[in-house]
Amino acid sequence: MNTETDNEYLIEAHGLKRSYKRGSEIVKALDGVDLVIRRGEMISILGPSGSGKTTLINLLSCLDTPTEGTLVVAWKSVAGLSEENLVDVRRGVFGFVFQQFHLLPTLTVTENVELPLMFLGRKAYPEKTREVLAMVALTDRANHLPRELSGGQMQRVALARALIVEPQILVADEPTGNLDKTNGEAIFALFRRLAAEKGLTIIITTHNMAFGYQADRVITLEDGRIVKEERPRRDLL
Amino acid sequence: MGKINKSSMRVVQYMRLAFKNLRRRMVRTALTVSGVALAVAVAVSLGGFMLGYRGAIDKSIEMLGFQVMIMAKGCPYEAATMMLKGGTGLLYLPSETFDKVKNDPDIASITPVFVGIAEKEGSGVRDEGSEKTFSIISGIDASSFTVMKPWLKFKQGPGYDGGHWFSTTANKEVVLGFEAAEYEQRKVGDTFYVSITPHGTTHPVQHALTVVGVLERTGTQDDGTVFMPIDAARTYFNRQNQVTILGIKLKEFSAFKMHEFEARWLKLPEVQVVGLQQVKNTLVGLVATAQTMIAAVAVIAVIVALIGVINTILMSVYERTGEIGIMKAIGASRSDIFELIWLETLMICVFGALLGSAAAVLGTGLVEHAIKSLADLGVSGSIVKITPAVIGYAVIGAMILGFLGGLYPAWRAASMRPVEAIREGAA
Repeated sequence: MNTETDNEYLIEAHGLKRSYKRGSEIVKALDGVDLVIRRGEMISILGPSGSGKTTLINLLSCLDTPTEGTLVVAWKSVAGLSEENLVDVRRGVFGFVFQQFHLLPTLTVTENVELPLMFLGRKAYPEKTREVLAMVALTDRANHLPRELSGGQMQRVALARALIVEPQILVADEPTGNLDKTNGEAIFALFRRLAAEKGLTIIITTHNMAFGYQADRVITLEDGRIVKEERPRRDLL
Repeated sequence: MGKINKSSMRVVQYMRLAFKNLRRRMVRTALTVSGVALAVAVAVSLGGFMLGYRGAIDKSIEMLGFQVMIMAKGCPYEAATMMLKGGTGLLYLPSETFDKVKNDPDIASITPVFVGIAEKEGSGVRDEGSEKTFSIISGIDASSFTVMKPWLKFKQGPGYDGGHWFSTTANKEVVLGFEAAEYEQRKVGDTFYVSITPHGTTHPVQHALTVVGVLERTGTQDDGTVFMPIDAARTYFNRQNQVTILGIKLKEFSAFKMHEFEARWLKLPEVQVVGLQQVKNTLVGLVATAQTMIAAVAVIAVIVALIGVINTILMSVYERTGEIGIMKAIGASRSDIFELIWLETLMICVFGALLGSAAAVLGTGLVEHAIKSLADLGVSGSIVKITPAVIGYAVIGAMILGFLGGLYPAWRAASMRPVEAIREGAA
């Protein structure tokens, strides 16, 4: 029987490999990654373009399946599962934030935030939505459409959409890629607060070293392999 | 109970989302809906025409009052349509035929009718220019004719009160059908002028006749007819001892009795016996060919509309690849996405069906006018009848098409892998 402790492993990956076919060529996007992520940990994945950051985060968040290796997420072995089964694993476990925001343009901020609840078959409670919007400081934009928001605000809506399901793990793939420095800092400040206050596990990929080193642990990828793993000293930041 | 509420709440949420997605590309959605509406309008109008035309034939035949006609040999279809709607090229029987047939044991009632065509003269109401207009003169024996058509009633009200049938011996009295009176603006006691060219001569003779009654509307050929005593009509047309048809009601109207009756009287060299069921089948058969052609056009319109719907939804799916990927990432299953896209298709088809049905209902008069101006269908009265059942079938048909048309786009969307969809959407 599993017990939930601070040191509990939420994700365990061993020998993760992912390759793609590009024409007649086989491209190794990930070439044997071993990684363990604990509950409440904030982890950054750094690396140049093409290093395998997005591939790794997609595998860890069950959006994709590894070609080889074992992967256990929230005590479930997910390697080799079909897309339909992966949805079941993702539901309620993961919250997602992407570089492109991907908000539905015809839905208001509130409707966008409540969208995942519809797919999870859960009822939307207005007070809960308000609470999540307050967390990302968007209460006054609740009835606005995405086109009426700035990039930073849209990313915060995407974050609220991820948080409404009270996920165990927040996955953010290049969350600041389309934001200026100020908005990027604000988003990372929010991540830190969520990790500290809610004990949320956060996995982030980023190109930005300054943002990346705000995590508890920093992993650097090159050519599909982990080449460096660091625990930044907070007192030096 | 809670499960049902949850499930209906989910359907409402999905419908709302589907509706909002459709509103994103208003022009494209409107055009696609219009395509479906057009196809449905054609289908509904055709259905209404098929139904209405059969109804009109049934009514016209029923309102003739008799089941069998005996008439001079010739084209039975032409003769029947002449009786139903009026026309020229009349053929006549010797009146002895009436004396021979009237004592047949299977006959419940019989009435002789003499039909002639007269020129309208000097109404002073309408300026028709150089165009001549014609009146159908029906010479009847009022006592036996009204047995056949007990529903004929005289119009009441100022100027119409006191309407009555003429006596057998009267020779200057007429009863006008509703439309004939309206057209000429004649009331009871007014004079009605007609020019009749007696048989064997070339010069028309003008007659001033007194209107003794105006009939209420029946919705049949009788509305446009001018009735006068049969003997007077024969005299005016110089066709003494002739009749146009003998209208007959049998005591027992069955295929067997009809066959027996027909066999008995076909022996007479000058006559043909026409059953009105036969006339009806002939008329329906003649129009069926045209209806099949229109149906083919309707089917093509429906197929084109369906292709339009599939195209629109597919385009929308491709445009929203990233969004679909995100929806799958945040918890939407294959069936959720399938349902969402499928609902959008269904909504387009249902909107189109409702719009098309409304257009068909509003355009009934126009369609009827167009059909009548294109072809002589041999009946009077309304020939397009759009009933709730016709609309119901159209909406159900559109829903089935929406269901089928939505399958492929919905399957495409549901089959997208989230990673690839998000990547493509971001590209």
